[in-house]
Amino acid sequence: MTNTIGITALIPPELIYACGHRPLDVNNVVPESSLSPRSKLCAWTALWRDLILTGSLDIDSLVVVAGGDCHNALVDGQKVSLSGLPTHYFFYPFDTNTQYLHSQLKSLEGFLGGIKDHKMFKYIYRLKKKGLALEKQRVNDNARASDIFSALICFSDMQSDPYEFENLIDNIPDTDVEYSSRVAMIGVPPIYPDFHKVAEEFGLHIVYDELPYEFIRLGGNDLQGLAKSYKDYSFAGPIKSRIKIINHELQKRRVDGVIHYTQFACHHTLEDEIFRDYLDYPFLTVQGDLPGPTPEQLKLRLEAFSEMLEIMP
Amino acid sequence: MNIGLDVGSTTAKIVLLDKSKIIRSKVVSSHNWKELLDTNTDEHIIVSTGYFRRKVPHSAAITEITAASLGVRYYVPDAQVIVDIGGQDTKVIDLRNNRFMINDKCSAGTGAFLELAAHYFNIPIESLGKLHSRTQRSAQINNTCGVFAISEMISQLVAGYTIEEVIHGIHEAFAHRIAQMIPPTNQVVLIGGTVLNTGIVNSMETILDSTIVVPPEPQMINAIGAALYREIRSYSKS
Repeated sequence: MTNTIGITALIPPELIYACGHRPLDVNNVVPESSLSPRSKLCAWTALWRDLILTGSLDIDSLVVVAGGDCHNALVDGQKVSLSGLPTHYFFYPFDTNTQYLHSQLKSLEGFLGGIKDHKMFKYIYRLKKKGLALEKQRVNDNARASDIFSALICFSDMQSDPYEFENLIDNIPDTDVEYSSRVAMIGVPPIYPDFHKVAEEFGLHIVYDELPYEFIRLGGNDLQGLAKSYKDYSFAGPIKSRIKIINHELQKRRVDGVIHYTQFACHHTLEDEIFRDYLDYPFLTVQGDLPGPTPEQLKLRLEAFSEMLEIMP
Repeated sequence: MNIGLDVGSTTAKIVLLDKSKIIRSKVVSSHNWKELLDTNTDEHIIVSTGYFRRKVPHSAAITEITAASLGVRYYVPDAQVIVDIGGQDTKVIDLRNNRFMINDKCSAGTGAFLELAAHYFNIPIESLGKLHSRTQRSAQINNTCGVFAISEMISQLVAGYTIEEVIHGIHEAFAHRIAQMIPPTNQVVLIGGTVLNTGIVNSMETILDSTIVVPPEPQMINAIGAALYREIRSYSKS
């Protein structure tokens, strides 16, 4: 029987598909939500929690990324679990230990009822290769960042239907983009669904989205291969390694500036000072809270950043 | 001739610039901005800035951050960090690396906070600086929330502090709040209408280890920057 498995952060989607189920990244429905969460710190976790508890999200079980994501997810995941929904907790290693991650993947495989279709590993691998090609397309100024972001952010679950998803990404238009500056987005993704379009209006071409880029990491054909690949999931590891990865990507993509998106009451906000010290680029920090259209104050920041990059020495 | 028109949340300012020389400048309240323009003013020479920049005649509209960066250099060519204290927000601009921060989610470090305090004491906001200078003693105000700070002010009055000492304390709390946003630097340029309050400047000087520079007419800087924008653009195009 095919079940819908809610996931709260990056979980290898190839494993869920290989076990005969479909993943649903519960974050991907948050930006379109108009719910007012009852008690909240970070709106991302509070909203997926309430969407599940109110029955607005149709899932059969939940996999909570408890290590390598946030403690809000751990608590909100337990609230969901107390409602009776089968819940599994997944922990990434902080020290990139392959054996530890292998044991976590083995335990997740058990929760999902075991691998039934090995072919899915290869199929998802092929899809992710297409994701990497899309990424290249925008870096080479041949695609709008808003189109690429919308596709990449869905690589965490392939919209619960990889075949339909493949059709969708095959139809992303080739477009020559014009812009005034190339920028990178680091941190968690913005909670505002129109954010990338707004940035485009101000002449900012986003050539790197840190977290969605992590989603298109190529996994292996078995648990060992997945463990080797996903152990480097940067959000779960030490910030030193993350800075190294980000700096490498910024240089490769020839960015003019960096935008750090932070989420109100998210612990990642504390990383802002570190990034400002270690990323030697014009740097803009923005913060969001509840979903909706990008607020005017935030637009002012984007506009000012764009002006600064364009006219300042 | 170039015109910089800065229509902010509280006041509107105009600066006429001819070959980088200020010919005329004027301030009115925001809602009376039309008084600043003659009926025959050529829209093509106006660069606007401020909250209402797109609502007023302009050939180009630039953000207050860009306007401040250009305007401050008019008086302080070697400026490092600008702190623009406006009616609704406070902006910190680090010119050394083109980075900036804006505080606009909370009134505690903005002109609105001081207006709230002046309103409570039923005194004109312009008199806060004078009252500040009458004492060296300060009532401690810890609260970073503008509204709760008023409750704290009341408690300090009840505890026996004078109005002057409470105002001194408010200015220090205000300065502490802004200081958290300022990167390490040996020079800070303060601009914005709130800087006309000498109590704020005094408190910033006490708290920060940096040289504080207040340019002439600090509330006009963004309008100057807007007027300079056209000069810089036409220079870079020629």
